[in-house]
Amino acid sequence: MPANRDVPLLAREPLEGPYVLLTFRHAEVAASARAGQYVMIKAGTSPDLPLRRPFSVMTTDPREESFTLFLKTVGVGSRALAEMRVGDIAACLGPLGRPFTPPPDGSEALLVAGGYGIAPFVLFGDELRSVGRKARVFYGGRTAGDLQVRSAFAERGIPLIPATEDGSLGHHGRVTEPLEAYLDVGAASPTLYACGPDAMLHAVARLAARRRLDAQVSLDPWMGCGLGTCLGCVVPIQGPGEPRPRYRCACTEGPVFDAVTVVWAGEESSLARRRALEGAPA
Amino acid sequence: MNLAVDVAGLHLKNPLLAASGTFGYGVEYEGILDLNLLGGLVTKGLYLGPRDGCPTPRIAETPSGLLNAIGLQGVGVRAFVKDVLPRLAPYDTAVVVNVCGDTVEEYAEVARIVDDAPGVAAVEINISCPNVKVGGMAFGGDPEMTYAVVAAVRKATRLPVIPKLSPNVADISVFARAAEEAGADALSCINTLLGLAIDVEARRPRLAFGTGGLSGPAIRPIAVRMAWQAARAVRIPVIGVGGIGCAADALEFMLAGCRAVQVGTANFVDPGVYGRILSELADYLERHGLRDINGLVGALTFPHDPPPMGVRE
Repeated sequence: MPANRDVPLLAREPLEGPYVLLTFRHAEVAASARAGQYVMIKAGTSPDLPLRRPFSVMTTDPREESFTLFLKTVGVGSRALAEMRVGDIAACLGPLGRPFTPPPDGSEALLVAGGYGIAPFVLFGDELRSVGRKARVFYGGRTAGDLQVRSAFAERGIPLIPATEDGSLGHHGRVTEPLEAYLDVGAASPTLYACGPDAMLHAVARLAARRRLDAQVSLDPWMGCGLGTCLGCVVPIQGPGEPRPRYRCACTEGPVFDAVTVVWAGEESSLARRRALEGAPA
Repeated sequence: MNLAVDVAGLHLKNPLLAASGTFGYGVEYEGILDLNLLGGLVTKGLYLGPRDGCPTPRIAETPSGLLNAIGLQGVGVRAFVKDVLPRLAPYDTAVVVNVCGDTVEEYAEVARIVDDAPGVAAVEINISCPNVKVGGMAFGGDPEMTYAVVAAVRKATRLPVIPKLSPNVADISVFARAAEEAGADALSCINTLLGLAIDVEARRPRLAFGTGGLSGPAIRPIAVRMAWQAARAVRIPVIGVGGIGCAADALEFMLAGCRAVQVGTANFVDPGVYGRILSELADYLERHGLRDINGLVGALTFPHDPPPMGVRE
């Protein structure tokens, strides 16, 4: 059950450029957050705008009753959070949303991250290890400075394949390219997990559909409330057997969705629907 | 110390209601906040059937404001009565149902269905949504249509009827009087202000619908002024709404003549806002040596009388 708390900042670790790690005390998030779940949080306790912002939980520490966010400063809400000092108070509601579901026994989890989309995969790495699943991270960004927190995966013994658009680290190009290369030679029937920009999520969804692989994507639309009441974050979702897409709240029914059920921008039906139509006898 | 107020035949334990469209159907907040704290809650607008609402993006932040074009996505009144209303029954709070329609007949039919349902305290009429192509603000922008919708809903239900007026008019007192003459028991003032935010890089509106309704602290002075104008124009009570986030904000509306208030956008920012406002209200009464919040209704001392600027008496 999510809890709404005014929480103190316990630790602040600035990283390269606009990135920072923030650790807050919040007993419920620390005790029960699953990978892919998020908190709605803002610096201070004012009921005035700006709205709280959604951030994936990166790690939890139940003993310390704390959790850590990986944050990139992009606008007014994230900047106010990034500028908090230890001891300052934030208003925080969580844990919220539908988490990632681990793969079935024998299926390797391939975690595809773009930029700050890496955050939920640290916690997911722990969960996967605890249920005995193999994992591998494909981490893409514009430049090397965008590929932060890589050491978290090294510490957990999870291989990480970096890709940068400018070639400053790892593969020179898009993150889906080394992913495809691995799929061509890797184990059969892996499960794909993706968190990052929409274009990357869409690319992973198409790739998974083409190869008949299960994929889960974490969507990141603008969210107003986190509770399904503002209806600002809806995404068109078409489940198996549904005749048409329906708007569903990413905040409560997501942010993690089965990739084949998502109707991507510019499309009229889900990958599952189109796959079913393609497979149907003429 | 008394925080209870009487509005339109409703006895509310305190003057705070959750505003339509900012509180879902109430049940979303179970476990997050104690619904018994609220004087009442107004549901998301309901048509006869389910509605998809507007395409996305639907919300955009502006300075101290939230611009939205949700377009009244909802489950429809029948599903609400069957599936949601029973879950609200255990709570000691007034449930006000916000009714919508594409036609005058649809408003009346929705009100009739609500009238038959147990556990509904009142009906709020949405004649002011700026984000639908028919109904909504189209009805609330014409005094004769306002009269027609309110009169039809009045006939369809025994429950108190509370039209929610649009601020997107030149003189709200005309609409307040039309609603009163049509049989309204109270007025909610105001809905969102029609706005437009533009993404200059893409040279397109930031909302998929184009225009949207502006809410939040940015609109509060306008809302207080319009609620004050409406309260001076009619005998029925006015419920103030627009940018309330703390007790001082709520008190502005009450001093301006409102008998109760609705909290809107602040629900998104802080789902725990009611407890805070209630304790601040109690502090205020104590600090001012008052026993009853009703003593503050309309207690505004205005610097000149009669007031200037087209305020019709």
